[in-house]
Amino acid sequence: MAYFYQNPVLRWLLRNPIWGFVLIVFIFFSLSSEHFFAARNLQNILVQTSTIGLIALGMTLVMINGNIDLSVGATLALAAAFAVDVQSWAMFATWGNWQILPAVCLALLVGIFMGAINGFIVWKTGVDAFIVTLGAMLGIRGLVFVYTGEQSFYAMNFAYSDFSALSFGPLPVLAVIFLLCVLIVHWLLSRTVHGRNTYAVGGNREAAVNAGIRVGPHMMINFMIIGFLAALSGVLLSTQMGAATPNLGRDYELWVITAVVLGGTKLTGGKGDIIGTLGGVLAIGILRNGMNLMQVPAFYVYVILGSILIAVLFLDKRFNTSTDGGLRL
Amino acid sequence: MTNKMKFLLASCSTVALAAAASADTVRIGITQNNVGIDSYQTTYEQAFIAAAEANPDVEVIVLDAGGDVARQISQVQDLIQQNVDAIIIWPTDGQALVPAVRNAHREGIPVVVTNSNIAEAGMEFIAAFSGPNNIQQGIYSAEMMCEALGGEGQIVQVTGMPGYTTAIERQKGFDDRLAEMCPGVTQLDIQPGDWNRERAQRTMETFLTRFDRIDGVYSGDDNMGVGALNAALAAGRAEGMVFIGATNFAVGYDAMARGEYWGSVYQSPVDDARAALQTALDVLAGEDVPKLNYFDTPKITQENMDQFDRPVF
Amino acid sequence: MLLTRLKAGGPAIAKQGILVAFVVFMIAFSLMSDRFLSADNIMSVFRQSAIIGVMALGVTIVVIGGNLDLSVGSMLSFATVLVVDLHDKIGPELAIPVMVLATLCLGAINGFLIGILRLNSLIVTLGMLSVIQGLVLIYSGGQNVDIADQRGTWFAMFGRGAVFGIATPIIIFGTLAVVFHVIMTTMPFGRHVHAVGGNPTASVFSGIPRSRVVFMTYLISALCVAVAAIILGSRVMGSQNNVGQGYELQVLAAVILGGTSLLGGSGSILRTVLGVLMLAFIQNGLILMGQPYYTQWLVTWAVIIIAVWLDVAAKRGRLFSPIA
Repeated sequence: MAYFYQNPVLRWLLRNPIWGFVLIVFIFFSLSSEHFFAARNLQNILVQTSTIGLIALGMTLVMINGNIDLSVGATLALAAAFAVDVQSWAMFATWGNWQILPAVCLALLVGIFMGAINGFIVWKTGVDAFIVTLGAMLGIRGLVFVYTGEQSFYAMNFAYSDFSALSFGPLPVLAVIFLLCVLIVHWLLSRTVHGRNTYAVGGNREAAVNAGIRVGPHMMINFMIIGFLAALSGVLLSTQMGAATPNLGRDYELWVITAVVLGGTKLTGGKGDIIGTLGGVLAIGILRNGMNLMQVPAFYVYVILGSILIAVLFLDKRFNTSTDGGLRL
Repeated sequence: MTNKMKFLLASCSTVALAAAASADTVRIGITQNNVGIDSYQTTYEQAFIAAAEANPDVEVIVLDAGGDVARQISQVQDLIQQNVDAIIIWPTDGQALVPAVRNAHREGIPVVVTNSNIAEAGMEFIAAFSGPNNIQQGIYSAEMMCEALGGEGQIVQVTGMPGYTTAIERQKGFDDRLAEMCPGVTQLDIQPGDWNRERAQRTMETFLTRFDRIDGVYSGDDNMGVGALNAALAAGRAEGMVFIGATNFAVGYDAMARGEYWGSVYQSPVDDARAALQTALDVLAGEDVPKLNYFDTPKITQENMDQFDRPVF
Repeated sequence: MLLTRLKAGGPAIAKQGILVAFVVFMIAFSLMSDRFLSADNIMSVFRQSAIIGVMALGVTIVVIGGNLDLSVGSMLSFATVLVVDLHDKIGPELAIPVMVLATLCLGAINGFLIGILRLNSLIVTLGMLSVIQGLVLIYSGGQNVDIADQRGTWFAMFGRGAVFGIATPIIIFGTLAVVFHVIMTTMPFGRHVHAVGGNPTASVFSGIPRSRVVFMTYLISALCVAVAAIILGSRVMGSQNNVGQGYELQVLAAVILGGTSLLGGSGSILRTVLGVLMLAFIQNGLILMGQPYYTQWLVTWAVIIIAVWLDVAAKRGRLFSPIA
């Protein structure tokens, strides 16, 4: 038993149980499907994970703050629509492949702006973020439909959809962007003042205020970060499709929250990290991919994913209360 | 022409590879739009699996995108990764699947699109399309509406889920044909019913309060059409109102038998599924398959309904 | 002006933000469409809102108890598919109790995980949303279910019938609202729910059986879903497998609009009814004005935030949040 607690790998796994789970499903699918453990498939998993994964990075910050953002799926759709539509604006007609640049920039700005609106409302009105972003989830989806007129947009320029096929050595470009963002957000959260404040605000808001943190603007910045990441995710998704559809990103907020919670971030705020979140999104990505390869009927996938979420929550609760001794919500 | 040649070569070589790899069985992967959302898609899946099981030389991998474009793209990637001999796609969105189809084409895997066609830009990358002609179905419905109203009247329209190809195509076919053939018929309003009977019922209830005179209702499928009929019956205004649908469901068929529902378009998911599999097999066998393979979806009305079996869904 | 009034503790009217907004909307819509205030239209909106309304009653009680229930949408699909499917197999007199029992079982699972095991309600009900949706599809094999004899069955009375000219769904919704209002305002159980939601630790010390109270709130929520499913199944006489998809958010929006705090401990059944009606009238009014249907989402966005803001502002006595 003493050995068990001294071994650094085991101790790390105990603190990040989701990675143990990732390891188990990884081995399980490698043994049970001949197509799973192949370089191509692992690349696929990374690309497939990047969509939910990017948003989950932002959600981790927001949730450590003690807030939540339900509007990310709609923001993703709005950004994707901008990224594809702006390319075909007449003013950029002569720009050639460069027309993609203003389109992507504008899409990312739209994401940041939507995040800023959410953050500002939460800051100024003091209404719970759950309510503010539940409203925004409906409202921004409405904007998407108004903007697109219910139609899909598609990119005339094949260079746009070719972008997603690029790769750096063995890594597809989408996976590289995702991993870069993981590193940056991890650095932001664990090494900077903003990161420290994020935990402080979520852990004990009064103490944070006393320590001189401007809580309102701080939370707004995190909402802008998640808006940016949701928009980036939307842009990357639209490069995979060469198009944007108004229904894009439906229910993504639920999957993102699931992934972040699987990664050990607490809804009550103050706890969580990017390593856990990465484990959470990989767990979902591997499960989905593996179940596809093994042809698990779609009806059962719902039951399996839902049960795993509840089971992990249960184990986490058992486990955390026994080691920390304290009760947690 | 050259594309077709290239494609034939590609498919021949895939067949050759497959034959070398595993005796004579071909592996075909299918990714469907959203099984379980309605009976049509579910029956389609069952018919597809049954047809595949009946053929000892076919092994199928059946996936469902759950209505999510991004998930469908991952599934296409997963199928390419498994090196299947052909991929059948029921697109969640005609535009957004183009790059994924292009990837499969690059890998030399022939793609057959089923039920709802891919956008124009993707046509060069697919081996064939097999399914109903949704624009034509909209046209049929418009013609039936025009005929039933005698070229004169006010109608409302309940469409499918906004943003979905089938809904858009049926509405387009209907709107264009109606304006051209029957200028005397005006459309009072168009609102979505989301392929959902209860929502269609609510939409129709609001139409009924809004408009004192409604002579006809066109719904994007019979499931919604019966919802609209329910609303009109409850309000006591169904008498003399013309209900036209599409994709004849069993409930629509029964309502037609009772004389409450005027007509619809007969579309069998079993035919749809079999046609898709057969098209894929023909492509793999190297046959010269036309790009567009529409299976027959005739008009069904109270007069000719005895020529059709009651739909199983 | 508003600010100073709020600071002064606020007149009663400022505390009824939702009521004010409701009246403003009703006046605005009736000026813009002459059909809006017709008896036909009002009855039709009431009837349409009954399904969401009945579910919102249960969710209000869950939320007052300090929890959330996101599983009500798939639970509605489950219950409706079950009752419609069993109607033709074992008859309505058996189908209804079997369905109610099965739905209560799902509620009991929620209640056990959240009340007894004290797991986070958002995540548990999110997981259950997915699990139950899968169960529905497995049960029905993905097929629609229909009632063959739509005219002859007495099951039709719940969704399509009327008593003294008032549609049964309205009567059911109204009766349940009154019953739950009385329970929540006058009975010990109501006090317990408020106490558990307001201050869980204190409630335990004052001898309130916290686990059992939370468990009960989920049973009530499931019961409401079962009642809603009877109305829905009878109204449509058939069901798709995803019929309840997205209802959880509409229900939650109505509850929030009614001023029930997500922190638990405060909320009112009657104001939830107001929230439900308000959303239904906004939807209806915009369609009567010929607006595309997604404009209602934009309006809902604004309405939710403004209504809850005024509510929160009235409680703290100032318009803007004190956080820096």
